[in-house]
Amino acid sequence: MIVKPVFNPRSALITSAGHARYSLLEEKSIKTVFFFTAFFAVIVVTFILFFLLRNGLPIFSQVGILQFLLGPDWAPTAAVPLYGIFPLIVGTLLVTLGAMVFAIPLSIGCAIYISELASPRMKNILKPAIELLAGIPSVVYGFFGLIVLTNFIRVSFNLATGETWFAASVLLGIMALPTIISVSEDAISSVPNEFKEGSLAIGATRWQTISRVLVPAALSGIAAAIILGIGRVVGETMAVLMVAGNAAIIPDPIWNIFSPLRTLTGTLGIEMGEVSVGSDHYSALFGVAVVLLIITLIINISAVTILRYLKEGMIGRPARKPYISSRTREALIRSAGMLGLALLLVFFLAAAPWWLAALVLLAGGTWYFGRAHLSENQVQTIAFGFILGATLVVLAILIIILQDIIIHGLPALSWDFLTKPPLDSGRAGGIFPAIVGTLYLVLGAIAIALPLGVGAAIYLVEYTREGRITRLIRTGVDLLNGTPSIVFGLFGFAFLVLYIGIGVSMLAGQITLALMVLPTVIRTTEESLKNIPQSLREGSLALGATRWQTISRVVLPPTVPGIVTGAILSIGRAAGETAPIMFTAVVFSSRFLPDSVFQPVMALPYHLFILATNVPGSSTNKYGTALVLLLLVVGFYSVAIFVRTHFQNKMRG
Amino acid sequence: MNAKRSSYLLITMSLAALLVAAMLFAGCTGNGTTAPVGTQAPPASPTVVTIAAAPAPVATTAAPAATTAAPVSSGQKQTIKISGSTTVGPIVQKAADQYMAAHPDADIQITLGGSGPGIQAIGAKTVDIGMSSREVTKDEMIKYPSFVITPVAQDGVAIIVNPANTIPYITLAQAKEIYLGQLTKWSQITGADVPGTNNQIVIVGRDSASGTRTFFDSTVLGTATASKTMLEQNSNGAVAQTVNQTPGAVGYVSIGFVTQDVKALPILISQEPVQPTVANVKDLSYPMSRNLYVITNGQPTGLTGDFIKYILSTDGQKIVADEGYVPLS
Repeated sequence: MIVKPVFNPRSALITSAGHARYSLLEEKSIKTVFFFTAFFAVIVVTFILFFLLRNGLPIFSQVGILQFLLGPDWAPTAAVPLYGIFPLIVGTLLVTLGAMVFAIPLSIGCAIYISELASPRMKNILKPAIELLAGIPSVVYGFFGLIVLTNFIRVSFNLATGETWFAASVLLGIMALPTIISVSEDAISSVPNEFKEGSLAIGATRWQTISRVLVPAALSGIAAAIILGIGRVVGETMAVLMVAGNAAIIPDPIWNIFSPLRTLTGTLGIEMGEVSVGSDHYSALFGVAVVLLIITLIINISAVTILRYLKEGMIGRPARKPYISSRTREALIRSAGMLGLALLLVFFLAAAPWWLAALVLLAGGTWYFGRAHLSENQVQTIAFGFILGATLVVLAILIIILQDIIIHGLPALSWDFLTKPPLDSGRAGGIFPAIVGTLYLVLGAIAIALPLGVGAAIYLVEYTREGRITRLIRTGVDLLNGTPSIVFGLFGFAFLVLYIGIGVSMLAGQITLALMVLPTVIRTTEESLKNIPQSLREGSLALGATRWQTISRVVLPPTVPGIVTGAILSIGRAAGETAPIMFTAVVFSSRFLPDSVFQPVMALPYHLFILATNVPGSSTNKYGTALVLLLLVVGFYSVAIFVRTHFQNKMRG
Repeated sequence: MNAKRSSYLLITMSLAALLVAAMLFAGCTGNGTTAPVGTQAPPASPTVVTIAAAPAPVATTAAPAATTAAPVSSGQKQTIKISGSTTVGPIVQKAADQYMAAHPDADIQITLGGSGPGIQAIGAKTVDIGMSSREVTKDEMIKYPSFVITPVAQDGVAIIVNPANTIPYITLAQAKEIYLGQLTKWSQITGADVPGTNNQIVIVGRDSASGTRTFFDSTVLGTATASKTMLEQNSNGAVAQTVNQTPGAVGYVSIGFVTQDVKALPILISQEPVQPTVANVKDLSYPMSRNLYVITNGQPTGLTGDFIKYILSTDGQKIVADEGYVPLS
């Protein structure tokens, strides 16, 4: 290996032609390597789509696309199999709608509180609390929903069973809260101070400033937050399949929120393990996955479009001549908003019990007519009261969930529980192999995803500027990010386990998890790289260093904390995921630890899922497993947050 | 420079700590030295099960078919995979726990999922033993002609309701009407009432992978399909759990899953209520009786064969009885 002096200005003048050509070749090959890691995301997304389509084609050709999409009966195992997924699509849409109705008011209220009303000390408590809510694994939410929420709903509303649309929407709404809150809060905080100061200067109250200046200014960010929340809800599998009842029907009447229903993701989660390869049912499940992916694609694209329109409207200087004038656009948005609200109101009034509807109408009427009689300060007090209430509700939810798991789980924790294998179908004994299995899985996943993700981010930030290729790559990464975890599981099962034939094994699980966390790694690395001031790069290049030398010795070292944070966040997320490993890597009980990557493992999320749904009489161990999983994931998140704040403080001071 | 070094130090230390923790978990418990399950102490040296040898602490006493083909050899870890029915699961799980306590080199990995996936898995040879609570269909036998099907126990399917329900017994006709959605309220059945509720019937059943569902559907529903409002659960345990938590629920589980938490209904046959007991299943007076099977693809040999023999032995059949099923006579 030729020793190359660095930062030696004379090295640029060392003019052996062969030397220059060699380093040029090396530079080019490094760039190509990075290009391929970046393009990998696009390749993966395309391949997943292609693989799903290929396996789903038989059902489309047999049943017909329209009949598949609109058929009212999903009965793949009946004497005459029926493959109509319309009830499933409706189920997904209804659950998402309900979740958003629950989550949006709460999250926007909470976001306003955190960004505008909270003292710095409250902020320091609230922001980690929200991130904690984000860290709770979905199977733990499902477990809580199954044990506590459905019972609560059944008893409070005097129903036959609590496994309903309502339960699923509330649970998924809770799961979407952290996403929407943190992104909205970011958006509101980043409105330039001049807006706020100007509004206050002309005598508006704080509430008027917030409601008429700040929130509209942050609307694009809030819209993005809501869309991210929708994406999260649409893609959720485990929680919804544990509490929604899983009957493939359309609620009758459609506003009956206490009807059971089944979503697209729930269908995949339930039936994936049951199909025989190559059968119609198998192909129908791939059809479901394709539809799910397309819905995700639509959500992503509309997110981008809405953001672009809103940004253009905001800046006032559109990038190109808009198709419709800004006046028309505003009118359109306003009427769309009012139409949406009106629909929601009708829906709500039809669904809610009469006393609630009367109350809402009364409140609305009083507000409308009494508004003029209230002073602005009084309006502000009322509004702030609601906002504080929203924040308290969010905090209360977090506390209820945590205390339930901690209080019931602590008695189960013991040295034996953590170090012994399970006995008696998991009712007794410990969860040691599951803990180790989870660690193996996530460490393997990050070992695969980190090089690819960092390489992709380096390429996107360092080697290119915005253009068609980078837009394509970013779309690929976004799509991969929005893909539901169950689709990854299906792909891993069909491709890695069956088609390639490595069987249900740790390796299949690790690869599937790696694909799932890849976008997170890319995004966090990109952000850290973008934080490096351009002047550093220019200075290094000016001294004669090559591109790669600049990257490896100047740009990368300071970004290591950011990369580490992203890696640990991804580990935390991967540790809590059940759907990707359910059919690719896990076995319910195994006495020994696996001694090769081709053997299946036990894993904490799967163990909890099976205990919660299949093993009656295992109450202590269920809670113990949930607590251990929670502590593990929260532990990872805390380390990541600590690393991040430590280095943020360092950079600031 | 110092700041940078301390940052590097911090990152390296936290990464190292994470790695060390992971390694500690993984490394300090090598394979085969994990604490043995169960309370029986393992034999001092791995036992080679010879035909007439002195039995190891929990060894099978006089296995029925005396020729033990290729017993578990000493020192070499052997792994077999089992998957399938959640009804047969508890028997096989318990038997595996006791077998592994006596044979420290045996690793028996079990996954549940239903009779359907179990049969498919053994057909595709992705597992060594498939468990099934239903008969293998003719089509499946044609597809997998080398199946060897061994009954390991007898079983009955009990119709269960929540303990708060006052219903004394049920007829098969009523069960059919309930599951087809024709009867919707407990008050429509004489003697049935769930005090404190609106008496709405909540139908709980199994998903399409279930052998128990296949058996129940064919015995009670004939060729009809259950109502779409049926809550589909993916195991016996889940059905029992749902019925226990929902006052107005009705479900069906194997008698091995009938506990204090649910109420198993006698079935009215010619004006006589027949309880779903072991005795009634054995003499077939209980109408929903069936066999439970383990399936291998080809004749079972090695650890697979040894383990199946263990299940069929006296000790194994004792486990069957302990778990609430009916041992083979």
